[in-house]
Amino acid sequence: MAKPTSYFPELKRDWWLKHSYFKKYMAREATVLPLVFFVACLLAGLYSLLQGMESWQGWLQFMQHPMVIALNALAFIASLFHAWTFFQLFPRVMPLRVAGRTLPPNLMVLGQWLGVVAVMVLATWIFLRGL
Amino acid sequence: MSNNTSDKMKRSDEPIWWGLFSAGGVCFAVFVPAAILFIALLIPAGIISTGAVSFERAQSMVFSLPGLIFIGVVICLPLFHAAHRIRHGLHDLKLGKERQNKIVTYGCAALISALALVGFVIGAL
Repeated sequence: MAKPTSYFPELKRDWWLKHSYFKKYMAREATVLPLVFFVACLLAGLYSLLQGMESWQGWLQFMQHPMVIALNALAFIASLFHAWTFFQLFPRVMPLRVAGRTLPPNLMVLGQWLGVVAVMVLATWIFLRGL
Repeated sequence: MSNNTSDKMKRSDEPIWWGLFSAGGVCFAVFVPAAILFIALLIPAGIISTGAVSFERAQSMVFSLPGLIFIGVVICLPLFHAAHRIRHGLHDLKLGKERQNKIVTYGCAALISALALVGFVIGAL
């Protein structure tokens, strides 16, 4: 039987290594890997909180392990990289019009970064109040 | 006239996954950086005293309405975002089969989200 032919050339597994744009795309896809690690840490923390004081202290110590801090630092950078790419999408997907004029995309990106800062300020208040 | 053709057309479930991916993407960009910075970097590094997350304080913070919102925006929604990206990443790397990847990735996201919610309910009761 003749080999079936296709108009679409077969992609190799390393296709994305051939161009910096595709590498950036795959880097963005990979930002979720350290995120999953951080979420797993949180879930462990939640269950250690259910098991009592000693277990909770153990979790706090686990979070201080240099390897865990390093992976979470990577997760922090990945979340900011994701934010940087994600915020640029919003003005394209949903352009906002105010008083008949489209808001400049840069202003919308800035607004979203202000949101990130606002959440940081809120977190500072949550963790530091009454200390 | 009956709408026979639309009855026969299979409804796509993609809008659900796409919606969860988008909502999770917003949470990952807006709420997750602060969560990592405080919980996983500043407190473990000793920059913020561990008194901020003493056992009693952590319990009252987590097992409350704000705690439930935290679980939703920092655990559940970002998990579905991650599942979507992993599913498409596997496709890009030509790993696994499409249907199977979909079940495993979204299935894991749903399972871990459920575990977090069960943990919350046990603690809040």
